[in-house]
Amino acid sequence: MPVPISEIVQILVAALICWIIFILVDLIFALPRKGGVSGATAIGTNIELAGGNLHGGLMMGNIVCSPDASAGTLLAACGVYIAGLPGGLFATVLVYVGNRICHDKGYAGTTGAFFATILITAITSWTVLGPELFIAGMVLAITTIQGISHVHASRLLGKLWGWRS
Amino acid sequence: MIVSLICALVAVFATLRIVFEKSTERKLVYLNLLNFAITGVIVFVVGTMVDPWLAIAAAAAYFVGATLESNAIASTLAQKEGRQ
Repeated sequence: MPVPISEIVQILVAALICWIIFILVDLIFALPRKGGVSGATAIGTNIELAGGNLHGGLMMGNIVCSPDASAGTLLAACGVYIAGLPGGLFATVLVYVGNRICHDKGYAGTTGAFFATILITAITSWTVLGPELFIAGMVLAITTIQGISHVHASRLLGKLWGWRS
Repeated sequence: MIVSLICALVAVFATLRIVFEKSTERKLVYLNLLNFAITGVIVFVVGTMVDPWLAIAAAAAYFVGATLESNAIASTLAQKEGRQ
């Protein structure tokens, strides 16, 4: 199956946009400050023991334990792909319900989903990028944080958190 | 479609990382990645084959449910380590 290079580039651009959205919203909502639940703290300390950064690890733990801005961005992209702006807003409501189910008192997931819905709708109506690219893009963006090297990802997040705080 | 292929490949990659990771806490981080990838696959498959709105509901339900499970497992592990 021949894969057009332009589509690969478009997916990478979408991944970069998704990466910036979710990291920015998570840092604004101070996810690296502390573990929202004891499980998130356990994951953070485990990553620190492996040689990583505690605050970066705590943010990764928080991403695991409750739908945050990355989950919000993914579900918003899914919503916009299925039904445009109303689909994205429906996904935002589902993320809000998901946060409450996971005993998360924060609004990082809901804000991320809402912000991503507006941005993805605007980008898909004004550029050649389609909403399906943002689904694959978000999966690739979260791979760079959760899937490659926890130690290096946590150090990067810790550095970004240092600038934020 | 290349987008669904990317999600599927990331899911396989995450599964392999889970299999070869020794620490249970860090397995959960890879499991989180797997959940992201599967959510994408659900939307592409259910969205084109069944009702589109059902696809968002199914994807969100799967993701929130999987996150809640990870949350419960991680919290239980933390309590267990606290007791030892």
